[in-house]
Amino acid sequence: MRKILLFFSFLLLMTPPALYAQNKTVTGVVRDLGGTLPGATVYEKGLPSNGTITNTAGKFTLTLKGHSNTLMVSFIGYVTAEVTVTSDKLLDINLQPNANGLDEVAVVAYGKKKRITNTGAVSSVSAVDLRTVPTANVQNALTGKLPGFFSQQSSGQPGKDASDFFIRGISSLNPAGNQPLIIVDDIEYSYDQLQQINVNEIESISILKDASSTAIYGIKGANGVLVVTTRRGKSGAPQVNLRVESGLQQPTKTPQFLDSYQSAMLINEAEKNDGIQQSFSQQDLDLFKSGADPYGHPNVDWYDKIFKKYSYQTNSNLDISGGTNNLKYFISGGALNQNGLVRDFADPQSQVNTNYYFRRYNFRSNLDLKANKNLDLRLDVTTRFSDLNQPYDENAVGEVYNFTKETPFTAPYLNPNGTYSYAYSPFNPDHLPTLNARLATSGYQHSRRTDYNVLLGATERLDDLTDGLSLTGRVAYSSIEQFTKQIFSGGIPAYHYDSTTNQYSLRPGATYVYQTYALTGNTDINTNDYNVQIFANYDRTFNAVHHFTGLALFNQQSQTYYAYPLLDGSLVGVPQKFRGISGKLGYDYAQKYLVEFNLAYNGTDRFASNHRYGTFPALSVGYNLAKEKFFSEALPTFSLFKLRASYGLVGSDAAPGNRYVYNQVYVNGGGYNFGQSPQSYPGIYEGALGNPNVVWERAKKLDIGLDMNLLKDKLSVTFDYFHDIRFDQLITPGSVPEILGVGLPAVNIGRTLNRGIDGQISYHGVAGKVQYTTSFVFSYAKNKILFEDEANPAYPWLQRTGQPINQPYGYHYLGFYTADDITKVKSYQAAHNGSNAGDPIAIPDNGVPLQAGDLRYQDLNGDGIINVFDQRAIGNPNLPNTTLGLNLQAIYKGFSISVLFQGAFNYSFAIVGTGIEPFQSQFQPIHLDRWTPENSVNAAFPRLTMNPTSVDSPTAYMSDFWLINAYYIRLKTVDIGYQLPASALPFHLHNVRFYFSAYNLFTFDNYHKYQQDPEIATNTAGDAYINQRVMNLGVQVGF
Amino acid sequence: MKGYKTLIFALAVIMVIAGCKKYEQFPVDKVTISYIFDPKDSAGVNAQEFLYGIYAKMKNGHNRVGGDYLDASSDDAMSSAFGPANEATILSTAAYNSYTIPTDENLWAYYYQGIRSANEFVDNIDVVPVLAKYNGYSIKYLWKSEARVLRAYFYFELVKRYGGVPLLGNKVFTLTDNLQLPRNSFDDCIKYIVSECDAVKDTLLTTPFSNPNADSHRVTRGAALALKARVLLYAASPLFNGGNIDPSNPLTGYSNFDASRWAQAAAAAKAVMDLGTYSLVGNYKDIFLTQNNPEIIFMRQGDNGNSIETANGPVGFTAAVGKGQTSPTQELADAFPMNNGLAITDPASGFDSNNPYANRDPRLTYTLLYNGAQWLNTQLQTYEGGQSKPNSTLQQTQTSYYMRKFMGNFESSNSYSGHNEDWLIIRYADILLDYAEAQNEAVGPDASVYQQLTALRQRAGIQPGADGLYGLKAGMTQDEMRIAIQNERRIELAFEESRYWDIRRWKIAETIMNQPRKGVSITQSGTGFLYNDINVLTTKFVSPKMYLYPIPYDEVLKNPSMKQNPGW
Repeated sequence: MRKILLFFSFLLLMTPPALYAQNKTVTGVVRDLGGTLPGATVYEKGLPSNGTITNTAGKFTLTLKGHSNTLMVSFIGYVTAEVTVTSDKLLDINLQPNANGLDEVAVVAYGKKKRITNTGAVSSVSAVDLRTVPTANVQNALTGKLPGFFSQQSSGQPGKDASDFFIRGISSLNPAGNQPLIIVDDIEYSYDQLQQINVNEIESISILKDASSTAIYGIKGANGVLVVTTRRGKSGAPQVNLRVESGLQQPTKTPQFLDSYQSAMLINEAEKNDGIQQSFSQQDLDLFKSGADPYGHPNVDWYDKIFKKYSYQTNSNLDISGGTNNLKYFISGGALNQNGLVRDFADPQSQVNTNYYFRRYNFRSNLDLKANKNLDLRLDVTTRFSDLNQPYDENAVGEVYNFTKETPFTAPYLNPNGTYSYAYSPFNPDHLPTLNARLATSGYQHSRRTDYNVLLGATERLDDLTDGLSLTGRVAYSSIEQFTKQIFSGGIPAYHYDSTTNQYSLRPGATYVYQTYALTGNTDINTNDYNVQIFANYDRTFNAVHHFTGLALFNQQSQTYYAYPLLDGSLVGVPQKFRGISGKLGYDYAQKYLVEFNLAYNGTDRFASNHRYGTFPALSVGYNLAKEKFFSEALPTFSLFKLRASYGLVGSDAAPGNRYVYNQVYVNGGGYNFGQSPQSYPGIYEGALGNPNVVWERAKKLDIGLDMNLLKDKLSVTFDYFHDIRFDQLITPGSVPEILGVGLPAVNIGRTLNRGIDGQISYHGVAGKVQYTTSFVFSYAKNKILFEDEANPAYPWLQRTGQPINQPYGYHYLGFYTADDITKVKSYQAAHNGSNAGDPIAIPDNGVPLQAGDLRYQDLNGDGIINVFDQRAIGNPNLPNTTLGLNLQAIYKGFSISVLFQGAFNYSFAIVGTGIEPFQSQFQPIHLDRWTPENSVNAAFPRLTMNPTSVDSPTAYMSDFWLINAYYIRLKTVDIGYQLPASALPFHLHNVRFYFSAYNLFTFDNYHKYQQDPEIATNTAGDAYINQRVMNLGVQVGF
Repeated sequence: MKGYKTLIFALAVIMVIAGCKKYEQFPVDKVTISYIFDPKDSAGVNAQEFLYGIYAKMKNGHNRVGGDYLDASSDDAMSSAFGPANEATILSTAAYNSYTIPTDENLWAYYYQGIRSANEFVDNIDVVPVLAKYNGYSIKYLWKSEARVLRAYFYFELVKRYGGVPLLGNKVFTLTDNLQLPRNSFDDCIKYIVSECDAVKDTLLTTPFSNPNADSHRVTRGAALALKARVLLYAASPLFNGGNIDPSNPLTGYSNFDASRWAQAAAAAKAVMDLGTYSLVGNYKDIFLTQNNPEIIFMRQGDNGNSIETANGPVGFTAAVGKGQTSPTQELADAFPMNNGLAITDPASGFDSNNPYANRDPRLTYTLLYNGAQWLNTQLQTYEGGQSKPNSTLQQTQTSYYMRKFMGNFESSNSYSGHNEDWLIIRYADILLDYAEAQNEAVGPDASVYQQLTALRQRAGIQPGADGLYGLKAGMTQDEMRIAIQNERRIELAFEESRYWDIRRWKIAETIMNQPRKGVSITQSGTGFLYNDINVLTTKFVSPKMYLYPIPYDEVLKNPSMKQNPGW
């Protein structure tokens, strides 16, 4: 830092002397978009000695002595601003965050790391950047901002819209084994707990990616670590910050469905194709088209009738921080309210709110107490209350898609006399009351949840013993209590109205009166976590160049889980234990030669007692060439040019399914009746074999990185290459014959390779009075299965080994069968005794008569038959292997704009069942482009059939016709704001900012087959609550 | 010096934590093997529960295969839920391969689980000091014998599907054992099953079902002998004995024909008859409804309920909801003779094609529900558009017949009520038919062969006729008698998982299952009806490979020693 200052001083000498008067007193206020910045350094350009520090309100007063008339304003984590003093008005100085300064710190395990001396692969983001994203979940706000962070948001349902995320992709075949460890204030959190955290409480977030930064977590570190720290108070007068925002949510894509007339036409066509009687007469079709008989021939757009165009969300946060030297506090409260998209159906019977909604109230109090000269105490208390509501047993989106539940022509929205109707069509065998009737009256499922966390810590500085040594003890306790209640009322009195006879007939099985609500189920889940940590920290510099750091840690954790009704008795109430010691030793010489050694010895009780503990070492080294004379002389523009490398071993203790893999249990069940009047006798059967040798999964991780800062730190570049071998993976052996006669345990045999690159390029610049930042984040991670104990398949293309994890398999689509193909097949079969074996035109063996317009697949083994042996790897796994983020920010006076484009590439998804298949899905516009003899060339969809097992069904025949290789680029977040000039602030306000923010504003993608959000989970019906676009207006006030 | 205090405090905390009593290492409520076979458990409670777990591995055949009876995949019936995803239809239309065999007939792993459990029981039961005695010995030896018969039965279920399979003996394999076992020959398997039945037959309960007590529904000596008789009958049948689909392959059957196998089968059936314990019950309907009747030899006990009616009962009754799952074929209806015992094709039978259900073998009425049959206080309407064949999109009969067998006597009720739904695996009628068939093949149609058929026909309610042969032709040739026995077996044992296997072991499936299945279309004509046979399903059978199931695809991949059946 000092060098930079000197550098600026040098620059000053080059500038022409200014013409303004000397000894002028300047007052000003230093702020960022979030409010005032106490403690910022302000000094006169050219006269570093003439400086001051902003007070608790961010204000400063300085008397200029030089000639420059220019102030330099700097603050760690921000770009240093240069402000010309032009008048004697109150100066309003806006600083722009900069995460790439040499002294910028990233939070790592039990401490912080400066960019200049860090030797591990760590990426971090300041929470100031996250607060602008209008989403309820931290992980959604991280998308596109951190190199190595992969996420997928597969639902937009209020309260259930948190993204799945992975650090550097995935590398375990064990589906439970890829979740990153989540650490909040050095305490482990679950995915669930993370998504409840209020973004406003967060100070910073880092992800730890390589062995050197995660080895300290040992047996839990292999999937990377997400480290969160919360905000703490700073001494000074109380600072109050209020942030209130409210906005609109709407689906990123709104599905379109065909109307009754078009649907009926297509149904008739499918029935004709299948050789069965057509359901609709010409008269029916005419009535559908004209709409002249709205009750006998309804035409209802159910999507439109059920869903609103948009719904509201509001988010309010209030925080107060400040303190004295002895007591500092940060206290915050937040309230979030997300409403659902379902309409409110006014109905006297609708006594309950069945709509989707999510409400969350957060409270946090972080206190720091200086008990005496050497002893610091801290007490962090936080609670979250949430209410999550959804309709009882209905997926409203799924039902609208589901052709078998109701269709546009199945029933009117309401009967002429105002009663509810029911699905009358033979295509709806359940004959359910219409969806509006059920949503209005059938009940809700409501989860009420309370999270509670408390952390009590004490740090004793032991400088008496030796300089730089401190000892910290912490006790943390967390609990989650969740109560789910379901209320249901069946038997809605729904009637079919016959428009020809004017008669009403009650739905079969229904009653004439509403039934009372019944409590149909409630669950109560209770999780308790208890964590004790004791660690000694050492940090001392000898002779100004020899810098030593050290950490020794004891950590013990115990988690109990209880659920009522008992989900699995075996897992309830028995605590899961974790215990271990870890250590870290670091040394650097003049910030030039860096080395760090990490070691963990820890274990969990998921394994047999003689296989419980593992040792996890990691070594990292760094070499900052910019500190070498020859380098700085040759390339003076570099302030940092650091090569670093790390290698080490980390583990993952996630066992699939059964926590007690090591022990075989026998299961009560499978009883039998004996005796004259049969009496039931209980039975016992053998559960899956135990694996007494089960151990944690392990990963050998290599990381090679380069950190550069150049052009006076305006440009910073970070680049990492990684090569991870994950071995001893817990998977079920695939090569054991079933004559064993019993289930198999997971065995430590899987092995994969995961490698890739990630990094970030940032540039901070000033153009006139505009400060701008451009930041480009890239992540690429590609994995490959090296061994999964696969039985040797019949054909090489069926082999899973060598392919990525979760590689989809299916048929390769060649086109549509032509009428000519069908003729040829028939003549071939006639000549070969009815068999198609060896026919170059292969046909499926599903027993469904083939027709022109059916999807034709490649016959890989050339036997003339399309069957499972012709499936091969198609497309890519569902998780993108490449993600990019481009963040553009600019500030001009009080105006600011920040946009984030995020893209994901190299992934595939397919939608099946009610999402696309005719007669399971409602008819969609793409079905109009089906294959017909007239539309055989440009067809975008196979011929229509009612047969769910034909080659045209993605459920029965997954192929690359259905599985699309997708990408998307999203305008993920936008934040445009205006901060009132400090001089214009009334009363005692020191910050007022108005802003517009948006989430998922625009999406560009490359597919037209599905009317779905591109982050949808593959092979689902695609009927999840569609991801939401949010547009928000807000105001932030500080005083 | 305050730092030291903190340090001491911290160390104390560590010591307290480290010194805590070890927490619960493992859920102590979990059952482990030492708890099941407990050397201190003189009552053998848990060991017995483990044995019941083995019993529970016996399959209940009611609507077993994807909701259908297995015989809905034979020429006796089709599934009303027909369609390419329907398991019964997949089986009857040859739409499967080694990878896609329908789940409920993909029983390779299932029965090996049963075999493993039995082996575990046989290997470990000796350590349990059970005090209760049977025949002067600890009752645990009785249990052990029961487990061995169940194991033999599981092997037989495998052998009739796959031919020879790996025999595991008493070994309980672990992960580290070599499991790349080859298949044993068909001959070995039959010998093993028979030897197991022989070995334990004298140490089993002798109490038949007709003499009930709490223990009577277990595997008895009669069950072991009856199983042996059935196994030997199958082994003597053309598919394995002389008609091996791959004559040089010892896995798929015997390499030669040997008439003595029929004699052994006859002798084994005779042994059951000679026990004198079993007899035919007086009324055909009571076989399945009356518990503890003297005809039951070996069964899988079911629940008390009306699920058979709910699944298979005719559609169209609001107070007695049935899904009409099973559509018996016209071929089955035609197989029932007239009540004078003459086939309907016999000009002397008196069959009236305009009144086809009059004066028929009473078993027709007990097996099928046809148009006009008395059911639920009404005359069943299965004519086109009738109450039980509305021709809507509702699942309904495809053939104008519903299944009646196994159901309670609801002719004059308005709704269904519960009754016993046991699944009879072997009953005395099987043994009589086994004997008749084996004796006819071994010796010829002697008087003892006639005797079994007339006994069954008498019980069925067919008129004895002047010659007392119940419509059977006197002095039949061996071939004629074979046809007569095959037909008798078909109608007597319809839907009892007999026909599906019989057409295979007789090697007639390739003819029968390559003809279209027939139903009848009944139209109202004034006060009467018109009956027209219609084709309802095109079935398919690929000979010879489909006479045996394919070994599951994965099993062959995982084990290079596992030879696939021919043609798959």
